[in-house]
Amino acid sequence: MDELELLKKQWQSREQELPKLTYDDIYKMLLKKSSSIVKWIFLISIAEILFWTMLSFMVPESSTKFSDDIGLHNILVGVNVLNYSVFGFFIILFYRNYRKISTTDTIKELMQNILRTRKTVKYFVIYNVTASILLIIGINFYYYFNQDMVFQFMTQDYGITNISQHRFMKMFFVIQVLFGIVMIGFVLLFYRLVYGILLKRLHKNYNELKKIEV
Amino acid sequence: MNKELEHSFVTQLEENQNIVHKICRLYTNDSDAHNDLFQEITIQLWRAYPKFRGESKFSTWMYRVALNTAITLYRKSKRSIKTQDYEGVSFRISSEPYDDTTEQQLKLMYSAVKDLNDIDKALVFLYLEDKNYKEISETLGITEVNARVKMNRIKEKLRTIINP
Repeated sequence: MDELELLKKQWQSREQELPKLTYDDIYKMLLKKSSSIVKWIFLISIAEILFWTMLSFMVPESSTKFSDDIGLHNILVGVNVLNYSVFGFFIILFYRNYRKISTTDTIKELMQNILRTRKTVKYFVIYNVTASILLIIGINFYYYFNQDMVFQFMTQDYGITNISQHRFMKMFFVIQVLFGIVMIGFVLLFYRLVYGILLKRLHKNYNELKKIEV
Repeated sequence: MNKELEHSFVTQLEENQNIVHKICRLYTNDSDAHNDLFQEITIQLWRAYPKFRGESKFSTWMYRVALNTAITLYRKSKRSIKTQDYEGVSFRISSEPYDDTTEQQLKLMYSAVKDLNDIDKALVFLYLEDKNYKEISETLGITEVNARVKMNRIKEKLRTIINP
């Protein structure tokens, strides 16, 4: 390997061509902010938790009144309590993962740690999507078996008149299903885009390193 | 205490900055990206510094953290479009006059190394830095045998690129 050996010989002697930073240059860098992938994963997962939390606060009052009227109040409170406990559990996991990622590990271990962090985020999203689907299905079952009440309160709360109960309920369920599909589609798209871009290179390098082991 | 830590860190990094510069050169294509990566490596080194207890040499520890950053943590900015401008780095060394062919070959070799994937590049970098296979395997987290086999394959690959 003549050329590589030549390059190696020259490698050390080329050092005088490298830039020279002063003590102050380096000192100033300590104060700057990191922009590493890990930091982004951490920030995005916090943003995700905030997003889901905000979403539950953004339910309009009329809708709350409606679910109270129809007798879902206690069930929804229960669901919220459960949801927040799970959120809390995930926040602890996120934080622990984040702390565990130490730069002194070997490159392979570091990648494994990052991908593990990623997995936690994945489970968090899966939990959210599944919980949302179950909640939507559950509530709609409840509506289905209490159609008279739904029709009565809906028409009353929103001042809807001259529509038959049968027609109204049909429209009501179609809208519920469409809304559910759009929301879940949106979440999945967001998730793919953000993490897909962020972790593409890491995945590539990790697979490369795994190939060496074979 | 913190000031003391800062001082010893900056002093040591200043002394050993060549290692970081060489990695930046290999992993980026223009001076903006070079500076970005240098900055990110510095931050990661500083963050990990309290855990560095002198169990190894400062420079050995630096190889690890710096390569970790270049390969796994650093997000390549969009502006680092491939340009050859940066290759302007000359291989001419004052003490040894090389003829044009040798210099040409070296340039070819260097750009072939730069075209390798991130992991292969790390292996070659450590090889060029005259690290033994034990150190290479410890930095990457693979076995010594695998490091050796992989390095031979890369050499083979480079050879075919240079002499098609």
